[in-house]
Amino acid sequence: MSTPTANDSTAPDLSAIARPPQVLNNRGPLWVTDAVCSIVEGKTPLWWYAAITMSGGLAALGGACILYMIVTGVGVWGSNSPCFWAWDITNFIFWVSMAHAGSLISALLFLTRQRWSISISRAAEAMTVFAIICAGVYPAIHIGRVWFVWFLFPVPNSYGMWPNFSSPLLWDVFAVTSYLTVSSLFWFAGMVPDLAVLRDRATTKIRKFTYGIVSLGWLGTARQWRHYEMMYVLLAGLTSVLVVTVTSIVASDCATSVVPGWHATIFPFYFMVGAVYSGSAAVLTLLIPLRLAYPQLKELITPSQLDKVCKLLLMMGSCVAYVYVFELFNAWYSANPFERGAFWERFTSSNAWYAITCLAINLTVPQLFWFKAVRSCLPVVFVLAILCNVGMWFERFMIVTTTLMRDFIPSSWGNFHPTIVDILTATGTIGIFFTLFLLFIRFVPIVNMSELKAALPGSQPEHSTEEGH
Amino acid sequence: MSHHLPVCGSVEEPLYAVGARFDTPGDLIKAVHRLRSQGYSSYECFTPYPVHGLAETMRLPKSVLSFLVLGAGVTAILIALSMELIPSTLIYPLVVDGKPLNLSALPQYIPIVVALTLMISAIVAVKGMILLGGMPRLNHPMFGWDLFAKDASRGFFLSVEASDKKFSVSGLTELVHELGGGDVTAIHLEAPEKD
Repeated sequence: MSTPTANDSTAPDLSAIARPPQVLNNRGPLWVTDAVCSIVEGKTPLWWYAAITMSGGLAALGGACILYMIVTGVGVWGSNSPCFWAWDITNFIFWVSMAHAGSLISALLFLTRQRWSISISRAAEAMTVFAIICAGVYPAIHIGRVWFVWFLFPVPNSYGMWPNFSSPLLWDVFAVTSYLTVSSLFWFAGMVPDLAVLRDRATTKIRKFTYGIVSLGWLGTARQWRHYEMMYVLLAGLTSVLVVTVTSIVASDCATSVVPGWHATIFPFYFMVGAVYSGSAAVLTLLIPLRLAYPQLKELITPSQLDKVCKLLLMMGSCVAYVYVFELFNAWYSANPFERGAFWERFTSSNAWYAITCLAINLTVPQLFWFKAVRSCLPVVFVLAILCNVGMWFERFMIVTTTLMRDFIPSSWGNFHPTIVDILTATGTIGIFFTLFLLFIRFVPIVNMSELKAALPGSQPEHSTEEGH
Repeated sequence: MSHHLPVCGSVEEPLYAVGARFDTPGDLIKAVHRLRSQGYSSYECFTPYPVHGLAETMRLPKSVLSFLVLGAGVTAILIALSMELIPSTLIYPLVVDGKPLNLSALPQYIPIVVALTLMISAIVAVKGMILLGGMPRLNHPMFGWDLFAKDASRGFFLSVEASDKKFSVSGLTELVHELGGGDVTAIHLEAPEKD
């Protein structure tokens, strides 16, 4: 295709399809460096202390509850027959799912050359790592006798025990371990050049030393960049595969059992779309206040980028809606009385409000993002994004716990009521998440500076664009 | 060696390289072109972000990292399969619900193989990037050059090592000035610290 020139009178007006700028106001690479580093280098704002005190307090309370649970036993939770899985697995799935949008935004959108995601990818990756840490709180402690957690790993031992590799619960152990490892590596390795910038700019000895150690002696030589870029592509590829694998494995925890309401092949897809949906909502929930706290980010994290996250949320929300409808259709079409019964009970028993809340939120709230007026009003987006996550928590609870309340035999039916320990442990994970995120804002560059600078207009030599690099 | 350049490091120590700074990546690439045509081989470029075409101009080979990661992935598949199959079929056969454990039940072993393969490949990718890039390192002669060490993001740097056969301070100074570069500096090694 020939490129239209300025003299060509028939040339179409391309401004309508021009890419929105990566950074507003034509800012250059030096401004990007200063803007991002100033967040770390500036004085710690008062709100930060207030916020970390609150989140740290919640986390400490959650930690105390976990300790209390370990020394007393899982009886302090509301989990009981038939709801052996309740808030523990609900929250595990909730957090591990939320993590997925971070990987998707940074890895999959990088591979597909969606440049708009550069500014938000670092924060999204951080969210991923912290959400997996929160998810990781539960699997170990929910087994009850936490000191036996090593039974999960294939450690040669004198008891003659070996893990059952055909169990999805064991697949989970490997999936979550490798997800935490890979996403932390992806996050850290992508940060090395930016940590080196902080090292160079450090004014105190402690900062110079600390950033010097974590930036590994990065120089930015052409050789280093060559290996770095290769590594980044490889990790992005590996992470993209991992995202799909991990959710599918977590979904298999439920799907491979014979419990009506769980035993469905749509589960991996169900979990996947829900994961990206809740994760996109979490990205919006985190980034919108962040832009308020640090005004320089308004030019880096542009309304057009947030608009695209909203569209991602809308698409995934619509997939979630499709799955809900399909699940109900499937229950009816299967003509299996237990399957039909499970769904009937889900919406008519005394616990129906869980499922109704879930459907009410997840079928309506994301659909509001069809309207540009909604997407461009950030306070509204913020509230709706929080609502989406509330809806997703109810979805996870609906899948895990309300399904267990009603299985084959009515005599074994039961209900679940959370205890105060359940509630405080859950809020504790929220505290852990925000504490880690606040530390992240304060101590590492929250925007991928090197990748962003390389993508700014005019930052690459002229000839390279002609060659189509 | 006599020259009239600004000096960093300790003049008593041997000269490590001559450094220069360019304002644009295009100028740096032109300088590399010129160095190559003059037969230089020991030089290095330092940029705040990956510059397209720079590695090609320097004739750097494709990164071997992808091969390392492929090797790691294949090894990981074998490790994961043997970790699962050997104990499950031979050492500690654990029969649940009469399900088979041998190769005929291969699908049940795949999720762990995938997870482990991805994990080990990722570890090798990051470790490989670090080692191939000559990291981790605590110091480098370039860090003795204040202009570079204080704010490497403020330019595109070039260093030509004194060990290069073609090395000539005056020739390099001329080349850099001609191409619009500046801040030509003689980078000496730092004196060892005395206690």
